[in-house]
Amino acid sequence: MAVRALPASAQLCSPYWLLLPVGLLYGALALLPIAVILRLGLRDGGSPLRAVLRSPLLLRAIENTVVISLLTTVIAVLLGLLLAAAVWRAGPRLRAVLWACILLPFWTGVLIKNFAWASLLQDNGVVNTLLQTLGLADAPVTLLHNRFAVIVGMVHYVLPYAVFPIYTTLRAIDPALERAARSLGAGRRGVIWWVVLPLARSGLSNAALLVFIISCGFFITPVILGAPSDLMIANLVDYYVHDLVDFDRAAALSLLILAAIAALIGLQQALPKEGQHGTA
Amino acid sequence: MARRDGIARGALIASCTPVLAFLLLPSLVIVPMALTKGQMLQFPPIWISTHAFTDYLGDPDWFASTVLSFKIAALAVAIGGLTGAAAALALHGKRFPGKGLVVGAIMAPIVVPLVVLALGGYLVFAWLHMVGGWIAIGLLHGTLVTPYVFISVQTSLVAALNPLLVRSARSLGAGRLAVLRHVIWPAILPGVAAGAVLGFAVSFDEVVIALFLQGPQTVTLPVRMFTAIQFELTPKVAASASLFLALSVVVLLTQAAAMRRRSA
Repeated sequence: MAVRALPASAQLCSPYWLLLPVGLLYGALALLPIAVILRLGLRDGGSPLRAVLRSPLLLRAIENTVVISLLTTVIAVLLGLLLAAAVWRAGPRLRAVLWACILLPFWTGVLIKNFAWASLLQDNGVVNTLLQTLGLADAPVTLLHNRFAVIVGMVHYVLPYAVFPIYTTLRAIDPALERAARSLGAGRRGVIWWVVLPLARSGLSNAALLVFIISCGFFITPVILGAPSDLMIANLVDYYVHDLVDFDRAAALSLLILAAIAALIGLQQALPKEGQHGTA
Repeated sequence: MARRDGIARGALIASCTPVLAFLLLPSLVIVPMALTKGQMLQFPPIWISTHAFTDYLGDPDWFASTVLSFKIAALAVAIGGLTGAAAALALHGKRFPGKGLVVGAIMAPIVVPLVVLALGGYLVFAWLHMVGGWIAIGLLHGTLVTPYVFISVQTSLVAALNPLLVRSARSLGAGRLAVLRHVIWPAILPGVAAGAVLGFAVSFDEVVIALFLQGPQTVTLPVRMFTAIQFELTPKVAASASLFLALSVVVLLTQAAAMRRRSA
């Protein structure tokens, strides 16, 4: 008896043309803009690009961006490791509480968080009141509008992004490995150093790259929490657009940013994937 | 040994407490600061007055910006919901070379600096004479919402839609539309809803794109706050920030509900 064949499309869930909406949207508002940016930034044989590259402001902005983003990344990955380890080790109820503490700031916009930090760090803010009450300072300490405040605000923003990939690799570690290490005579510190950290390496490097990429694009935080000298690369684009009204140079600078981001993402793809080790 | 591990766990969690305080502190001070009596932001506040909230909602400019931000976020969610959900469906259960690249491209708006998206969008919309209109901001926010809807629909598809279900429905005589309505839609609904809430928050909070594409009549609430914060830290800003905080609590609860459903 012949079984009636199903139509081919029933073999799979859904047709490829469902990618059309996203293709249209991204085509019009991501690819087309990049094409326009390319055209403006490279017009007249690339003269806007050369002008940007010669600008002393660019060097300053790159230096600020790299230094601030690196410091942010190091602090966020260390704190992220601590939080991820706590979530990993916690029981179900405590784990839910920890996730709530991590996700509430994650879902609060950067502007709101920076506003809160600005009011916390100002001269008559909570932090200064606390320092003076505890007798740690006689007069208000300047905590706002400097690089310290920018890094505080940025670490606070990116910390959840550091926790996610680290937690994923920690969770993938086979508990038998730990028991094996213990039975072979490793102390608790030995287990952390020789078993957990090596297995978490891919999560740590993924977290570091993700945090660094996100940090490099910061725009709001340097304006609200930093001094004018803390201008980062995204602020320079804004400066070209709104202060100089020079779209060609803004486009040329955007090209440089896109190239840097693409290179960093390429690097990320070359790293081992999350949870690739440890489940064996 | 179990006891010693318990102690180690306690030490680990204790050492996290300052980090958790650091994470939560900003969220905790916003509402009390909005309730202060004076015109200065201070903590501890001089309790208690709701004048900051009446200042905020009574100011026609701030009120108009709030309505505008809701409108833009609704448009962004409608667009991002459609594109993200459709893309997640299209890729569900498929394996082909380059799939990783397609997924990466869909997720790209999360890592591309907003200022680049904003500049590119400005250039395209300027050419279309659309700069200064709320539609332009909503459309561009739609690209930001897409990855969030895509991810959450993908998660609910993996959890609830076995491709065999579609196959058996078809073999039992269901047409394409019937499959969509009775098999696919119930499976993706939780993902669409969660993604829509996340996407709404993403659009409602966004500053950079809205700053580049603003016009005299289209100053979103975050843009108005961004400008205000640079000159003054007033209880009025804290009052409007409370609205954003409430939104992030809603998002958190949505996520918690989604997680519970998944583990149930």
